[in-house]
Amino acid sequence: MKIKIDTRPLPIVILSRWWRFLVYIGLGLSLYHFYDFTPPEGLSAEGFRALIIFVTCLILWVFHLLPLPVTGLFALVAPPLFGVMSAKQAFSFFGSEPVFFILGVFILAAALLKSGLSTRLALWLLRSGAKSPKRLVLQIMLASALLSFIMSEHAVAAMMFPLVVIITQSLRFVPHGGSYGRVLFLAMAWGCVVGGIATMLGGARVPLAIGILQESGNGTITFIEWTLAMVPIVIATFAFCYILLTRYFTIDVDSVAEADAVIAKKVQECGRMVLEEKFLALLIVASVASWMFLGYKIGMATISILAVVLLFMFRVVDWKDLQENVEWGVILMYGGAIGISSILSSTGAGLWLAKTYVLPHLHSPALMIILLSLITILMTEAMSNSAVVAILLPIGISLANSFGLNPKVVVFSVASASGLAYALPMSTPSVALAYSSGYLRIKEVILPGTIMALFSWIMLLLAAKFWWPVWGIKAF
Amino acid sequence: MDQGVIASEGLPEPLTNPFGLIHLVLPENLAVSTHVLRGSGKNSKYILKREFAFFLESRETDEKMPVRWTSPLKSYEKRTSSGILVGDILTVHGGFISIHPKGPCRFGRSGLSCRYCGDTKELGKHPPFTKRDLIEALRIVLQEKSCDIVNLSSGHVETEDGGVEWLSPWVTEIRRHVNIMISLDLVPPKTNEWIDKTYAIGVDALYYDLDFFNPHDEPASQAVRDHQRQLEALEYAAKIFSRGAVLSHVVIGFEPPEETIRNIDLLVDRGVVPILVYFPPNDGAELKKRWTVTPEKIQRLYAHLFERLVEKKITPHWVQQGDVVLTPMEGRFFSEKKAGYHLPLIQFYQTGLGRTVRSGLASIRRHLRVREVPVP
Repeated sequence: MKIKIDTRPLPIVILSRWWRFLVYIGLGLSLYHFYDFTPPEGLSAEGFRALIIFVTCLILWVFHLLPLPVTGLFALVAPPLFGVMSAKQAFSFFGSEPVFFILGVFILAAALLKSGLSTRLALWLLRSGAKSPKRLVLQIMLASALLSFIMSEHAVAAMMFPLVVIITQSLRFVPHGGSYGRVLFLAMAWGCVVGGIATMLGGARVPLAIGILQESGNGTITFIEWTLAMVPIVIATFAFCYILLTRYFTIDVDSVAEADAVIAKKVQECGRMVLEEKFLALLIVASVASWMFLGYKIGMATISILAVVLLFMFRVVDWKDLQENVEWGVILMYGGAIGISSILSSTGAGLWLAKTYVLPHLHSPALMIILLSLITILMTEAMSNSAVVAILLPIGISLANSFGLNPKVVVFSVASASGLAYALPMSTPSVALAYSSGYLRIKEVILPGTIMALFSWIMLLLAAKFWWPVWGIKAF
Repeated sequence: MDQGVIASEGLPEPLTNPFGLIHLVLPENLAVSTHVLRGSGKNSKYILKREFAFFLESRETDEKMPVRWTSPLKSYEKRTSSGILVGDILTVHGGFISIHPKGPCRFGRSGLSCRYCGDTKELGKHPPFTKRDLIEALRIVLQEKSCDIVNLSSGHVETEDGGVEWLSPWVTEIRRHVNIMISLDLVPPKTNEWIDKTYAIGVDALYYDLDFFNPHDEPASQAVRDHQRQLEALEYAAKIFSRGAVLSHVVIGFEPPEETIRNIDLLVDRGVVPILVYFPPNDGAELKKRWTVTPEKIQRLYAHLFERLVEKKITPHWVQQGDVVLTPMEGRFFSEKKAGYHLPLIQFYQTGLGRTVRSGLASIRRHLRVREVPVP
């Protein structure tokens, strides 16, 4: 880091550094003002306060006024403060199953990263002799997508990034120096994005969405249900992504033999699989199988936490190593997000909001799904995908109930669409990492990224119309 | 007064500080320090006497001027836990504490009598002291007397950073333990990044001395280039630090007053406060031959300095070096321009609340302005 002195006029510096305090004061005054407000007709006093809390959290999340986890904590303490529910009830949201499921998944992903098994898997997927530049693109996409089936896409991107850097350097590409370097980084980022929606493990937003669904009393979604619902979207989007990358951008390299040599060297450096890695691989396979076939029976969180316990029983990793690699903040955020959703549901505020302001403008469930998924895709380009889920899903579930629609459709639509961000660096960490390489410029990515988002959205709607009903989930 | 005062009989002992300087407060609250001469003191114009109170008597006109005598600090005689005399670590001039952790300042090497270091203070012979000694010495002094600012001098250095890197841990240590403003007396660094760092580590005011900076003195191209860089550094620093917190000593009396006025304008136009240093060379010193001015001749220099600073809205009293030199604020005595709000502000800053407000505002300013940005 370098020291920089801001020499702009002091009032401007003050505004740029402390504008948040003005917003905090504004929010505090608004909360105070609305606390004793007479609620609108059809809404209870608790419901009205729940809405105030929701709007406050929405502002905090959208404008990043506080770190996401801290807003999550605020969302937990606000309901008892405002008399919406007791502190005991509010804090019990931390005990919800999806929170512990995602905790277990994070720990398993951290173990995969720490042990080097994920790198080994990635290299194995890359090494099979990249004979042509296009095939190397496909292999990077495939490795990123497949690993995102079992790990958070953010973790996969972080692991793949140095490999892609080495490959690009071996091909003597420099930032902004050639189109192919750009293609490789986009292959990594978009591979992660597409793969990330395939299972519940690709990102924590799906468990969060399921948690919100459960807390609203509308049942749950199993591992298999989710995966089956996403299969056609993932396959079609993956294929389209490959075509777009290899046709839209110029492949300005004839041979990737140097990259092959680098990958082969890296594989050699990995050496033989040690016992811990073998055990971890077995554990991951067993966990995925259990989530698929036993998850509904014994609980998703039970399996993930059991896997973590086994991880430590066999001393595969140290707790200290894991502590640094687990995103603890996300856990805090999820507790708060689930809490918010629950108070909107239990006080009837969500339903009231949907009925009063949204339903009169929506003429059919189809329009609702179309708009909800589109808004989600647009919002997720600029916001954390979990925050988008936390904001839109409670309203979406209320809307679905009003239409007599299965709320699972809304969960599928919002949770998957919230992962489909391709264009902007602030959209997802994997895209941000690709930008950080220096090979991408926004103006070069904005058009193909928008095309990808549009295609994914259409695929999502087609799946909702034709594929999900096959599995008994009628959308429209 | 620059030729010292003669002490009459019956004055209290010790009359002077360990460096032979007496501290007096003249009318209008003007603090001065000067040498005390015993016996005839042929060059001195004043005799210090005490009847009911202290007064200075002019030897030429017998005119009497009431003064206040400030007894020398007892702290100088105290020792830190490692046994070092506080007087060997620092000197106090009004609210200004002067420290040379590395060795004598550039004045000390030039043959001029430096009142910052103390006239008879041979810094080279003093035992080296640690940061802990310095903190203890500062605490001892601050228990006896309230001070505004502590000034650390880098001494003569030829490094790219101008000496700030070496002083940085000292600044950090003072910031951690003592609530006082900090100024540094440095050589202008080669790049502006060091100026950013100087501000960021917690320095409130800065001296980059041009000393005998007139490039016509040394027409060699290197000297001109160095001079250009020094001016650039000063101009940049003035944009970073508070208005009036970047200062440069300009030694007067060795060049025609018109030349000095040009140099004052050169600095003031860049946002820098020139501190005019009237340090007559000792008898027999090489520089004595170039000494051309009298106190009367330089009055208009001080007046010009004060007027230009007020006109440019540059704070003329950010660093008050008490009794060592005539600060720009004292220029008001020779000017028709009024000091306006500056005098009440100085008085406020000398109160406990004023000191707290001032250092608090300086800290907030730093908090707002300093940013850490990733290296591209």
